[in-house]
Amino acid sequence: MQEGFIFNDQLCVNCNACKAACILENRWKGSPREIITFNHSVSPNLPVIHLSLACNHCLNPVCMTGCPSGAYSREPVSDAVIVNEETCIGCNYCTWNCPYDAPKPVGRRGVIEKCNLCWKRLAEGLEPACTSACPTGALKYGSIPPDNFRNKPDWFPDKGLRPALFFSNRKERGILKITPEPLTGNIHPATFESQDKRSTEWSLVIFTFLVTCSVSLLCSSIIKGIPGNSVLILATLGFGAFASIFHLGKKLRAIRAVCNVKDSPLSREIVLLLVYAIAALLSSLFRNAGLIAIASGTGLILLAAIDGVYYFPDKPGKHFLTSGQVFISGLLITSLFANTIIPFLFIASVKLVQSVRGLLKKGKSRNHYILRFIRFALLLISSASLASGVNHFTLVIYGLILTGEFLDRIIFYQDFKPLNINLSISENLRKYL
Amino acid sequence: MKEFLTVCPRNCYSTCSFRVQVENNSIKRILPYSENRATPEGPCIKGLSYIERSVTKKRIAHPLIRRSDGSFVQITMKEALSITADRLGELRKKYGPHTVFWYRGSGMSGLTNEIGGSFWRLYGGVTLTYGNPCWPAGLEAVRLTLGTVRHNVPWDLENAGAIIIWGKNPAETNIQEMAFISGARDKGSRIIVIDPRRTPTADKADWLFTPEPATDAALALAIARILIEENLIDEIFIRNYVRGYEEFRRSLTITAGDAEKITGIPEESIRFLASIIGRTKPVTFLPGYGLQRHYNGGQTIRAILALAVLTGNIGKPGAGFNYANLQSLIYDDPKEPLSYYPDPEKDKPFRRTISIARMGKDISDSADPEIKCIWIERGNPLLQAPDSGSLIKALNGLEFRVVVDQFMTDTAKLADLILPAKNMFEQSDIICSYWSPYVHLKPKILDPPGEVTPESEIYHMLGKMLELESNPSVLPVPGDENIKKWLRQRISLKGNISIEDLEKGPVIPDDLQMVAYEDMKFETPSGKIEILSENAASLWSVGALPDFDIRKDRENDFPLTLITPNTGSRIHSQFGNLEIIEKTCDHPGIEISASDAAYRQIEDGDKVKVFNRNGEFTTVASISQRIPHGCVVIPNGVWLDEGGGSNMLVSPGSTDMGFGVAFHDTMVELVKSG
Repeated sequence: MQEGFIFNDQLCVNCNACKAACILENRWKGSPREIITFNHSVSPNLPVIHLSLACNHCLNPVCMTGCPSGAYSREPVSDAVIVNEETCIGCNYCTWNCPYDAPKPVGRRGVIEKCNLCWKRLAEGLEPACTSACPTGALKYGSIPPDNFRNKPDWFPDKGLRPALFFSNRKERGILKITPEPLTGNIHPATFESQDKRSTEWSLVIFTFLVTCSVSLLCSSIIKGIPGNSVLILATLGFGAFASIFHLGKKLRAIRAVCNVKDSPLSREIVLLLVYAIAALLSSLFRNAGLIAIASGTGLILLAAIDGVYYFPDKPGKHFLTSGQVFISGLLITSLFANTIIPFLFIASVKLVQSVRGLLKKGKSRNHYILRFIRFALLLISSASLASGVNHFTLVIYGLILTGEFLDRIIFYQDFKPLNINLSISENLRKYL
Repeated sequence: MKEFLTVCPRNCYSTCSFRVQVENNSIKRILPYSENRATPEGPCIKGLSYIERSVTKKRIAHPLIRRSDGSFVQITMKEALSITADRLGELRKKYGPHTVFWYRGSGMSGLTNEIGGSFWRLYGGVTLTYGNPCWPAGLEAVRLTLGTVRHNVPWDLENAGAIIIWGKNPAETNIQEMAFISGARDKGSRIIVIDPRRTPTADKADWLFTPEPATDAALALAIARILIEENLIDEIFIRNYVRGYEEFRRSLTITAGDAEKITGIPEESIRFLASIIGRTKPVTFLPGYGLQRHYNGGQTIRAILALAVLTGNIGKPGAGFNYANLQSLIYDDPKEPLSYYPDPEKDKPFRRTISIARMGKDISDSADPEIKCIWIERGNPLLQAPDSGSLIKALNGLEFRVVVDQFMTDTAKLADLILPAKNMFEQSDIICSYWSPYVHLKPKILDPPGEVTPESEIYHMLGKMLELESNPSVLPVPGDENIKKWLRQRISLKGNISIEDLEKGPVIPDDLQMVAYEDMKFETPSGKIEILSENAASLWSVGALPDFDIRKDRENDFPLTLITPNTGSRIHSQFGNLEIIEKTCDHPGIEISASDAAYRQIEDGDKVKVFNRNGEFTTVASISQRIPHGCVVIPNGVWLDEGGGSNMLVSPGSTDMGFGVAFHDTMVELVKSG
């Protein structure tokens, strides 16, 4: 039977003892264990529920399978999922994949710290530091029943990872009745704002945009039947790949990103990038039609693989046919470079519909709408001009369209919200607004 | 690694047993001790922080003396003691012994703390405080009513049919009690919280009643009236064991309607609360200490206790009024609360007393002899005593200030001489509690760093230098084996507890009532439970019956009530200086309701100035739905450099009985600063 954490939320009073015990035992720089609170702003109409959460050491650990550098492993005796900070390259892909926020990037380099189940303590016959410290017995360590999720609160994410966590003693209790009725009542909007913040991933924006351009240049050359500009194809690719390294905490270890081709979408992406680079280089050296076709095909697979990296972390399907998907973007730019108006207008209209959807979303910041409006306007103007046949792929149109696609990349990373417990809670709370 | 069993000696209900693993003279791990039924799980975050606290670089490890430019310089213990002995000798010669004011806080409990008293007795006497800043009004209220201050063992709470948590917040201040509350709830017990705040404890309750601060007595008296009107009282119990029922019944003039106007709680809710108290059997009341830090604090506790009495909820499993359990508290002779009385007659020439509530002013006004010297140990009065402004003034006017502490506290910064204090692992002691029924041995586990010397040894050496007549049973000779000899001798006075038993684990004294008052013997003048107490009237000039009398000028004062509770991450001014607390816990600012903040155009995170006519301090506002309109909350004991100083605003006012401090009658205003 799976062993893991057993949690009784009725007993948890957010005292932080588990968190402190974890840090004191493991001498972490950060704090791998956290107390997650449902209704943090203490809305009177809702219960306040705390959940002490670190790593659930899932049966299907997506942090481990997704890790491109092979930094994750299972400790054989305790079955703990552990991370080796020496081999971790600081790509933070695991933080996107884990819905429980278990891997925590620490410091400037973003190397991961994560609950190790105190496997060394377990080997000594002790409990993990957190469960041993809990003053009320809310957090325990023990056997997890197979139907461990039967009691889970509806805001607790389930992505089929089989986490070793069991909610004991979750009874339906009425909401606290307060008399006299409190003056205020709303859920504080700050609850959502604070959880929606993610910085723009500039290095990834540039990387994905330039690689898309490179692939599009190559593909369009086949359609046009004339060789592409090799310098441009290789330069965009080179700069893009160089930009991607800046996403990593440990840039000198970038090559370790290919260590897990078997399981990790990120490793596959990087390997395909390398294959594409070699094929593009060979095709530009030898100008052989077969090589160019192989390179173009690899390029399109690479674009699909880039999209694949984001498939699991965010809600599967959310990005299908979105304006920001690089594969679609690649087709659009290819048709642009290839001067093929009909395919261009077809793809552009799909993207326009998506842009409008983004504009219609409620409750976003002003910047959100401005950015999306500019993006929409750029695509509309350029498509309309092309459709009316006034301007025929002039430099101005090129500029408008490529700027639009670049903005799309920024918008994509703004919209990209890897599912995690805080997001799940805030989305659940929105229902009560 | 070696493992020891020890106990936390802080001023806290729980007084947890725990095991420590030690390596290289430092604490590596802290593990729970499941044999202690009151605290079978882990200690709280403060207990865990001893891992850091025992090795932190912030520790004062050598004596420090103030130079003329105000900075401190390290000196040897030998130098420090000879300076101290010289000054104490001179001062005594010049002004007499009572020129020394010996201030003791509650920073570390333990039987060895008595040794200081023995020293000052030999010195010829000393000035002490009377009263106590924490809990004495309620202690006295319970003593007047029941004769002693006892309650059932903590785990008996699971037998309760309803638990009325009145002004207590165990989720932060007595975390281990939450396990028993939750256990009771799982068995179907109803959990009621009565508190102006929606405390974290309320999050685990079925009902929360939020009366206006200081109006609890009105609520209780209205409930008493309803209980009697609706015949929800235990008549047989009252007939057999209660004195003054008729008089009390006739005095109950506050109706539920009146109480609605006073407390803000709707009449029907009050009736509902009365029906739970009257119809559920058995009911345990968990009153806190905050609600008695008012001018009417003692009478408030008497009024609430009367509800337990009327419904026969005394002396039974699952029932009771759990204010404090002093059954195993073996520290003081005479016992609390009597030790708080300014009763120097009996104890002359040893004691001269000044009020804790007016400490600053009483020091400045002292005469015959004037106080010229203060010796502060186990305390940080600059943060914990009321009216800090007058205290700072008084301290600045003294000739010689000695502070014994582990850390450079705000009080220590004002000292002329700082003596490094031991920590809990550096001397053996015997520890007991006012909630847990156990008596514990706290063994010496670590060697102190630098020149840290336990207080008992400081007193021994000073005694020698001052040529005081002593013997080892009074001022024990340095060395932990000698302290253990002293403890053995001292504990033998308690009858059935021996050091050998305590070495095996904490012990519940044989004579302890697991169900308090189950013998229905009450050590009151009448031998009955006294709702009517002539002693209340004669000792404290309050009504012989519980009544409601709110401070009249309250409404004309500043608009916001300042509540200064304890929180989960600190005990008064302790622990907030540790990195692990800083790293894991929210930083304390002043909490304010959204409505009060909006009215003052204050936003979350704004810097604010909090003020009244006593003073002001600056801190950060945090808007919270836990706080009711009309109240602001800042935890007590926040250090000055982290935005503390709330006691600057507290008037030196006493509670109606027991010489407590009416901290929670402090009214303030706040504005956005800068």
